[in-house]
Amino acid sequence: MRDGCMSDAELVRRVLAGEVELYRVLVERYRAEFGRYATALLGGDVDEAADALQEAFIKAYDSLASCRQPDKFKAWVFRIVTNQCHNARRRRRLHVRLETIANPASETADEGLDRGEIKKAVGAALEALTEEQRIAFVMKHIEGRSYAEMADLLNVGQDALKMRVHRARDEMKRRLEGVV
Amino acid sequence: MTARDRFHPDVQRYLDGEHVEGVAQRDIEEADRFATAMHTYGAGIGAPDARVDAAVMEAVRTRRPSHEGGSFWQWLVRPHQVRVRPALLAAASIALIALGGAAVSLLPRSVGPAGADAAPTVLVRFELRAPEASSVTLAGSFNAWSSDRIELQQNTATGVWSGTIQLRPGRHEYSFVIDGERWLPDPMAHAQVDDGFGQVNSVIVVGPRGVVRS
Repeated sequence: MRDGCMSDAELVRRVLAGEVELYRVLVERYRAEFGRYATALLGGDVDEAADALQEAFIKAYDSLASCRQPDKFKAWVFRIVTNQCHNARRRRRLHVRLETIANPASETADEGLDRGEIKKAVGAALEALTEEQRIAFVMKHIEGRSYAEMADLLNVGQDALKMRVHRARDEMKRRLEGVV
Repeated sequence: MTARDRFHPDVQRYLDGEHVEGVAQRDIEEADRFATAMHTYGAGIGAPDARVDAAVMEAVRTRRPSHEGGSFWQWLVRPHQVRVRPALLAAASIALIALGGAAVSLLPRSVGPAGADAAPTVLVRFELRAPEASSVTLAGSFNAWSSDRIELQQNTATGVWSGTIQLRPGRHEYSFVIDGERWLPDPMAHAQVDDGFGQVNSVIVVGPRGVVRS
């Protein structure tokens, strides 16, 4: 069996059995997917996302023996990545100046808004969400995940996730009035 | 936040991907613009490249997953979520006893990290009082959390299930599995750790001459 065809559970068991190099298969398997997620959570900063992702995969390796459901390795690491991003956000001071769109009433629909400006505005609005709302909103609208998938990855009920997404949408709508 | 600032509940459902009827065309267009803007934002999001893979692998080659490595000191200085066990637990009690080498191992020799045959091992006895259980097995980092490998034997007179296995020195996490489905951390373990899924694993630390902490 080629390494890339192995299930997560098989890879985890073999890494724990001493085949350390197989851990690379797991990292490669989820780096892009979790990397985009981390980048979105960290305001588009790819370098910071790379640091968070790297720390998360190393932490996961250190704790691999604690992962007693190896078939759910993906969800397990996803939560570690989420925690790392949360820690990264706490460590830094936000560089995004929220006040650029803090007063929606002063914003007017501007046909001249280009993608860069929309990106900047959306990124700033995301920063204003609560942590739970941001995670749920990013997973739903930026990554396009289903509620079932979100529930599986976060181990949170779908109704609770819908509530977070709905509240996040309302907040985003308010902050992006006149922009989108 | 006024009603104008919010999406109508039907529009929320529309954005959730549900089929809705009777929503004003203007609201649908607004929702579509919103979703498109988010998609546009997402399309511009970059992702870390393969340098992450190399950095992770460089780091992990210098260490080992927790079940194999770590001196007691390393374990001690690492942050843990430790819960104080209840003073009295009517349903269960556990004793972990390091034996001199006379007990029979229940652990298949093929189970465990590479080099297990060559490494010194300590015989450790696990006990759980669970008179109502039909079966009790032991799963842990030492057997890749396989819940059906290590079966404990019941003393019908006392309701105590027990078994002895070989463990290499180091820190191990484990849990009992009742009737093949209910995971039960050891109520008498000195430390419990979160497994990342909101469940709890018990911790045992084995030294070259026996159980250091149980």
